[in-house]
Amino acid sequence: MYRMKFSGCLLLLLPTVVLAQTPAATLDATVRSQIDKYCLGCHNQDDYAGGLDLGALLNENVVAHGETWEKAIRKLRAGMMPPPGKPRPAAKQYAELTVNLERKIDSHSTANPGSVMLHRLNRTEYANAIRDLLALNIDATTLLPADTSARGFDNIAGSLTISPTLLEAYATAAARVARMATGYWTSPTEMTYFAAADASQNQRLERLPLGTRGGFAVDHNFPADGNYTFQMQNFGVGTFNPGQQLELSIDGERKQLFDFTGVGLNVGMGGDLDGTLEVTVPVKAGSHLVGATFIDTGYRPHLNMVKEYARKSIENEPLPQLQNDPAVGFLKIVGPFEPKRSTDTPSLRKIYTCHPANSDAEPSCAREILGKLARQAWRRPVTADDIAVLMDFYAKGRKSGRFEDGIEVALRRLLVDPEFLVRVEKEPADLPAGKSYAISDIELASRLSFFLWSSLPDEELIALAAQKKLNDPATLRKQVKRMLEDPRSEALVTNFAQQWLYLRNLPSTSPDGIYYPNWDDELRKGFQRETELLFESIVRENRPVTDLLDADYTFVNERLAKHYGMPNIYGSHFRRVKLGPEFDYRRGLLGQGSFLSVTFTENFRISPVKRGVWVLENILGTPPPEPPPNVPALEETKDTDNPIRTLRDQMVQHRQNEPCATCHRLMDGIGFALMNFDADGSWRTLEGHPRKGDGQSYPIDTRVELWDGTAVEGPVQLRNNLLKYSPQFTRFVVEKLMTYGLGRGVEFYDMPQLRAIVAGAEKEQYRFAALVTGIVESPAFRMRTKQEGKQ
Amino acid sequence: MKLITKKHLPRRSLLRAAGIGIAMPLLDAMIPAFATQAQARTLTAPKRFVGVWHPQGAAPGYWSPVQSGKDFEFSYITKPMEPLRDRIVLITGLDVPEAFSTEAEPGGNHARGAVFLSGARPRRNAVAPFLGVTIDQLIAQEFGRDTILSSIQLGVEDAGNYGNCNWGYSCAYTNSVSWTSPVSPLPTEINPRVAFERLFGDGASQEERKRGRELNASILDSVTTKIPAFKRELGSSDQVKLDTYLENVRELERRIQIAMTSSVAEPDQEVPFGIPRSKDVHFKLMFDLIALAFEADITRSATMMLGRDLSGFTYPESGGTGAWHGTSHHGDKPSNIANYAKMNRYHVSVVANFLKKLRDIPEGDGNILDHMLMYMGSNMGNSHRHAHEKVPVILAGGIDGTYQGNRHFVYPDNTERTANLLLTILHLFGIQRNSIGESTRTLAIA
Repeated sequence: MYRMKFSGCLLLLLPTVVLAQTPAATLDATVRSQIDKYCLGCHNQDDYAGGLDLGALLNENVVAHGETWEKAIRKLRAGMMPPPGKPRPAAKQYAELTVNLERKIDSHSTANPGSVMLHRLNRTEYANAIRDLLALNIDATTLLPADTSARGFDNIAGSLTISPTLLEAYATAAARVARMATGYWTSPTEMTYFAAADASQNQRLERLPLGTRGGFAVDHNFPADGNYTFQMQNFGVGTFNPGQQLELSIDGERKQLFDFTGVGLNVGMGGDLDGTLEVTVPVKAGSHLVGATFIDTGYRPHLNMVKEYARKSIENEPLPQLQNDPAVGFLKIVGPFEPKRSTDTPSLRKIYTCHPANSDAEPSCAREILGKLARQAWRRPVTADDIAVLMDFYAKGRKSGRFEDGIEVALRRLLVDPEFLVRVEKEPADLPAGKSYAISDIELASRLSFFLWSSLPDEELIALAAQKKLNDPATLRKQVKRMLEDPRSEALVTNFAQQWLYLRNLPSTSPDGIYYPNWDDELRKGFQRETELLFESIVRENRPVTDLLDADYTFVNERLAKHYGMPNIYGSHFRRVKLGPEFDYRRGLLGQGSFLSVTFTENFRISPVKRGVWVLENILGTPPPEPPPNVPALEETKDTDNPIRTLRDQMVQHRQNEPCATCHRLMDGIGFALMNFDADGSWRTLEGHPRKGDGQSYPIDTRVELWDGTAVEGPVQLRNNLLKYSPQFTRFVVEKLMTYGLGRGVEFYDMPQLRAIVAGAEKEQYRFAALVTGIVESPAFRMRTKQEGKQ
Repeated sequence: MKLITKKHLPRRSLLRAAGIGIAMPLLDAMIPAFATQAQARTLTAPKRFVGVWHPQGAAPGYWSPVQSGKDFEFSYITKPMEPLRDRIVLITGLDVPEAFSTEAEPGGNHARGAVFLSGARPRRNAVAPFLGVTIDQLIAQEFGRDTILSSIQLGVEDAGNYGNCNWGYSCAYTNSVSWTSPVSPLPTEINPRVAFERLFGDGASQEERKRGRELNASILDSVTTKIPAFKRELGSSDQVKLDTYLENVRELERRIQIAMTSSVAEPDQEVPFGIPRSKDVHFKLMFDLIALAFEADITRSATMMLGRDLSGFTYPESGGTGAWHGTSHHGDKPSNIANYAKMNRYHVSVVANFLKKLRDIPEGDGNILDHMLMYMGSNMGNSHRHAHEKVPVILAGGIDGTYQGNRHFVYPDNTERTANLLLTILHLFGIQRNSIGESTRTLAIA
């Protein structure tokens, strides 16, 4: 039974928690003797392994040394200690020891909800907030600089710094967003979409018509009704198959068909107008799908046999005699010209909830509009003073223009307000520092929406919070369920999972084209989509999070299926496929191209070490220590008696050096077991020399001893061994979700709560919603510790 | 969506209007009356820096003057600088060892431009570039605190992410010669209109820009009024953070105030939205913008990239033939080298025209050229051999009015590196760092 102490008044808020009747907060005798027997051989005063003397702590209060014991628990839970080769307790005793230690800490800990610092909206949250507030899709990457990540996420309050440059960017963004949303955009804008350097454009893109090939499909936001110029340029130089035609379409409707003859034959892309195709057409304001794609004429065989997926990059250039299909290098959209005030866009419909019939009616309508906007943007009920400030700015705009100009100026003011740009939580003045208190319903609404949607709370949440009903346990659970089912919870995939699983590193992952000729941008995007869809299925279908490790299905399209060697999958859309015994090795994250390729190193090879580290960090939650300085490079040995043939040979030699061996034993086993997966995620059983490329192949040896001493062979057995640590994995997922959801690092004092959350989800088989609900109901999420320091 | 407001002329109108650009560089008509500010700064003229980088070295045998020391005879390529002799220092014989590839980090000879102002070795990494801070940024940090922009980065060739970055090396090394930190390259702006907006404000007309600034000022003012009440109920560390926020708002307000008072006379001519067709016009426009920014004291540190590595541009104005990169591979043939020298001389003449313009703008007890330093150079010498040694170096300007020109320093082969020149420049600006990039000491050129 999990127990926690609370300061008296708070018990009412969390009736399930029982005040602990504490026996001594020291370790039980059985635990002490086990630690003595199995741990103190190294973790003693003299050997001081890992900078740790457990002997000194044996008779101490466990809670007072919580930080150390939590590290120990983590190692035990992941099966990392004692290290391979040293005696371990039998499995049953090992588990009992671990649980006993945890219970001791949990039953004597006082809940410390911690406090989250003032929290600036990061770039993703800003874009989502604008989307939800104004029904406007913006590409915030062109307005705001990137945010710094910490603890694996870019929404950690402490790292979201503020600088004059950043505020200037927010001010400029506010001006542009306000103008775009209110519908009177007069100055031309410019946006250029570039093809990735390793794009291959010989496949149809999803959302573009059948019978087309390559190019771009972009959702472009047109700021006003008006004429827009579309410019396209070819990618690279070379000689092209004749008779190519390029189509420009908007929302699927053809606007122009260009003959591609001769374009870009020798001039490249350097000069103005060199090889540019251009057309100007009228477009209505709002977001439209713009397609620039070739009519597919590949009915006859042509010389793309050199590579199955012809990358349109510099590597193709030195082959002028080779005929290629042309590809689009970039699409530039410039406009509006001759702009008109927009009359009907999603933004206008969202903003103008009233339309003043005459100038007398304008102020009251402005008050209504601004009141609604401020309520959502500032995430709280607004006061007369709030409206008065905004109406001052409305008046400024109205004076020199019309009604809409007044709204625009007031909106601009609203978006620069700190109550929009930062999230804050108030502290009761009469409470001493270090004491905990429940956050307000209004603050809870924001915590919820930024956790599950990475955006503003909606009216339902704000209304419930304003009536102080959100803290009601049943209401809260109902809201979590509603929010998870809402499409906005896609942020858990695009924001949380992308960062946790390193998917954001995929765009910059680029195995060398010489060694990995099948790698291209479509494959990269496919890897990303596959993992996103797997994670999304866990969220949407409310599955146990451990399915991430061994789901018997995955998601592929034709491109990815071919790469994985799966037959009979056609077309560019992704679909769920069952993984039978022949594709057992593809089950779970460890069989997916995203993980297998983000762990690539730039040295033209896969990195067993990086893969091992990834698993230790992101599955087991036990990152290895940093490598020591002056690590010797892998040997290019001249030792002919013991020749290096494979990467493994090379690394084994490297590992013979202490101190490298201690840590590498943990990581390399995992990496070597996965050696059947090449850096591009493809399956193989033979391997070439790591450097020479002499055409010789050698069988891959995936027999290893893992971090816990278990002997396995190959990816499937590795995965099955990892599944033994599902409880640790589940905890780790919760730790990641809490880090992300709270916007602060999860510390040792959070672990008792974390264990309670996981325990609470047991009866629901650790399904996603149960874990999220547990987090939301935890003290860390609903409460706050008053900060130390001066008032 | 790049929400950039630009007074745009559709391309056809632009082409029709191109005649204006050629007959009279557009910004010539924009010279504002900055007299009041110039007067205000009579005695404390600020120090300024311009780094002008070009790819692909200089024609061997045509760059170095024959004599060293004072009163040397200008070489063929440096001849356009002669009218500015009193403010010109030439240096022969410096190497750029950081730009040489090594066994561990092979290749990338055309991905080493960013060494120019950093003196640091570009790490061979395609996705996570790592270099070093550049001297224009160190100077901006020191001298740009009270200006609207701390620095500006201009160029004339687009930084595409495809095409011509060498294998294994991030395009960042090719795209930017200005880095605020080892991992933060600053983007190079090639569009004169966007550069203009950064300098003078956002908006289609002077009137609109003025309104925009006034509005921003009143919005920020309203925000500062609100913050004290807003922060009252917050925790102590949040209050500290909100104080930072407030300071930043005030800093921004201050810069807007600077902008509102210093841009009293803005250029009244349109700056083209598109990229000029003629590189000659483009160069002039970008250099005019730097001159304008210096004159209005909008910024005190600038970089200009005359091209990108592997540039395929042609310069008919030079009298030579061929595209830049191809021509630079002269095969050590005398006739080809002579042809390449024409292009080099042309580029020097473009920069000389810029310097002359600065010399003609009075400031304090002299002119702007007296109170700045320009460092023009390349990371290659003989580009046919991709030799990152014996690179061309032209320094121009008096820094604080006292730096002496009319000198040609010659270093024996393989004895000195450009990183040491960078350290020397920092010291000349009063920035007493111990090193920059892989520098080892200062040069005796002060």
